[in-house]
Amino acid sequence: MSQGKAGGLAVRDARRPAARPGAERLPGEGPWRLLTVSPALLIFALFTVLPIVTLVLMAVHHVTWVEGASVWTFVGLDNFRALAGDNLFRAGILNTLIFALTAVGAQMVLGFVLALLVSDIKLGKTLYRTIFLLPILVPGIVIGAIWKLMYNFDFGIINQTLGTIGIPPQNWLGEPMLALASIIVVDIWHWTPFCFLLLLAGLQSLPQDIFEAARVDGATPWQRLWHVTLPLMLPTIAVTFVFRAIIAFKVFDEIFLLTGGGPGTATEVLSFTIYRRFFTEDRVGYGSAMSLVTFLGVALIIIVAMNLSRRRGASL
Amino acid sequence: MTRHLRGRPAKVALATGVAAALMMGAGPSATLAADQPPITIVINQSPWFDGFRAAVELYEEETGNTVELDVNPFAGSLEKQRAAVRSGESPFDILIINAGFFIEMYEGGFLTPLTEIDADFKLDPSVYTFDDTVYYDPDTKLLDAQNGKLMTVPINPNIPLLYYRADLYEKDGLKVPETLEQLLENAKALNNPPSRYGIVQRGARETFAVTYEFFPYLWGFGGDIFKDAKGGDFSVVINNAESKAALDFWLQLAKEAGHPNTGAQSQADIIQAMLTQKAGHIVVVIAAFAQMDDPNKSAVVDMVDYAQAPAAEGHTPHAPLGHWLGGIPKNISDERKKAALAFFDWFQGYDAQAAYAKAGGPPIREDVLRSDLAKEEPYRWMTALADALPNARITFTVKEASEILAVTELRLNQAATGELSSAAALNAMATEIGEIMTRAGYDAPTLEPLAE
Repeated sequence: MSQGKAGGLAVRDARRPAARPGAERLPGEGPWRLLTVSPALLIFALFTVLPIVTLVLMAVHHVTWVEGASVWTFVGLDNFRALAGDNLFRAGILNTLIFALTAVGAQMVLGFVLALLVSDIKLGKTLYRTIFLLPILVPGIVIGAIWKLMYNFDFGIINQTLGTIGIPPQNWLGEPMLALASIIVVDIWHWTPFCFLLLLAGLQSLPQDIFEAARVDGATPWQRLWHVTLPLMLPTIAVTFVFRAIIAFKVFDEIFLLTGGGPGTATEVLSFTIYRRFFTEDRVGYGSAMSLVTFLGVALIIIVAMNLSRRRGASL
Repeated sequence: MTRHLRGRPAKVALATGVAAALMMGAGPSATLAADQPPITIVINQSPWFDGFRAAVELYEEETGNTVELDVNPFAGSLEKQRAAVRSGESPFDILIINAGFFIEMYEGGFLTPLTEIDADFKLDPSVYTFDDTVYYDPDTKLLDAQNGKLMTVPINPNIPLLYYRADLYEKDGLKVPETLEQLLENAKALNNPPSRYGIVQRGARETFAVTYEFFPYLWGFGGDIFKDAKGGDFSVVINNAESKAALDFWLQLAKEAGHPNTGAQSQADIIQAMLTQKAGHIVVVIAAFAQMDDPNKSAVVDMVDYAQAPAAEGHTPHAPLGHWLGGIPKNISDERKKAALAFFDWFQGYDAQAAYAKAGGPPIREDVLRSDLAKEEPYRWMTALADALPNARITFTVKEASEILAVTELRLNQAATGELSSAAALNAMATEIGEIMTRAGYDAPTLEPLAE
């Protein structure tokens, strides 16, 4: 019996999660841990939590200036209610979604194709990587100047080139139907190298024995891509997509430099609307409400995307 | 001489030197401004900036004082100024404020009235007061030369003028337009796309772009945004018949003699169009004149002439003031305030203004604009500016200007691109401006919408 009892205990112990090495608490360890972590917590609170708290406070106030001093008037949820009737905010949401999904989608596909094409190249590896990476190294203001000149109706190289084959000049940045697409092209040019870089790193870290086994089993290149490479790359693809999507939702410089949100609201994006309302119009309360809603919306989209990716990964 | 000069014995030699310079012809302003602590001026990068910088360099040379310039884009300068005046102590001693936004500085109580720094300080009688925008009465919240305090000193008389290709006018036997209708005819005569457009208009949506472009037409047809903003009547009239006639005309000009991409043209674009012989006419701020005759930048050297932007037949032309005012923040020390005022005192002098004009900055004094300088070829724009300034008007007198501008910039741009009809654009503006003003506590009734 005692043996059986002992055996039963042994079984229960085996099921219990193994204790992490060194997990036993030493006397006084709790406060010490807290003390060592507290500087980081303090910095986090100071630079992350505090601004968000301030943003929330401003979002429920109307802030004006009298005699050089700010006057805060509590307005409850009025600033949030006003968002529904804001035509720029509505246009901003729609354009940001179109921009982010289209641009990031194209960058992911192009980046992955480029990464696949060059992953096995050994000769001139440094050179091609440098060339591919150049667009991300160019400052935003320079990108704006370059593409504004290229898109120029009268002098731009794109219209000049089209002219040589008899195509009339296009209003790349002035035509509502073309402007957002033109900005998306710039963004694809700018950020595809980022996707390429991350995806190439992912491809080169894949275990080669699986590919060898697939070859031995007679898998075609397409089958290897579809059944081996893509499933193995899914975590990298998901992370790259999320990183890029976060940056794309915050797009500002390309819009600011190329179109200023116009023509009309054709290229109005959320960051730009917030900038206008918050800074140019000096409506800090309303701008804060807009920032908060945008922040929560983007966070929600990212969480959903991450969950979907995780589930998809688990099902493979 | 003792007004701005600190009486330290160590500076006696300098004061003596300055007095000698005065006897030899240097202006009294230079003497008064001598021996001040360094100041920092926040300013935007405008076409007239080079002239201002030259004036500052002359000030440093004449007085021995030091001035640092903090140069920014248009919107960036405003944001820096707001941040500065709302902080504990402003890093800037002088704010160069645009006509579109000075009122928020007055209403917010961010500036020191200049006579509180020096009770004897006043503007020279020859300096323009620009629709009395330098005076403000905080009790009535009105721009009021009689009861208001002197808040600022004009820095630049920026108003739009008509730039036209004088060489083509001579060749085609055209007369300088005195009405908008004549302007349309002349623009059509010079229209030869795509090598040259009869007129290139500024239709882009920015902080204060297409709205500024539209004002001469709006007022030139008798329209307006408010019934009598300066008098305190904020009834919204932007969608009355006169305003619609103005917008229809502006769109007609674009369609019949303008650039096919008017909705995307910024100020830089239209200036570039003139510089590269792509435009027969532009209506743009006088500050751009310096580039026209610069052989390093221009293909139209000595080909451009200037005139007052006309109004429609039977109306008086009114140019929108896009001028710049210099203000001194409240939140700096008295010593810094005095140093800033010393600069203003020097800057408004005749000699400083003549030097400013020669360096590419339009002067703020009538006697300089009407001087013999105006007869010289490089300064041929001076007469047109002097003719236009007396009728120039302030565009916005409320601190909600930036919100209103967001509306007008969007809707006028949508009209320029054909996204909205003129009636729809004006109706949308009227509704949205009415909402802004009502929310801000003004009585701002609107008209019945125009039929679309």
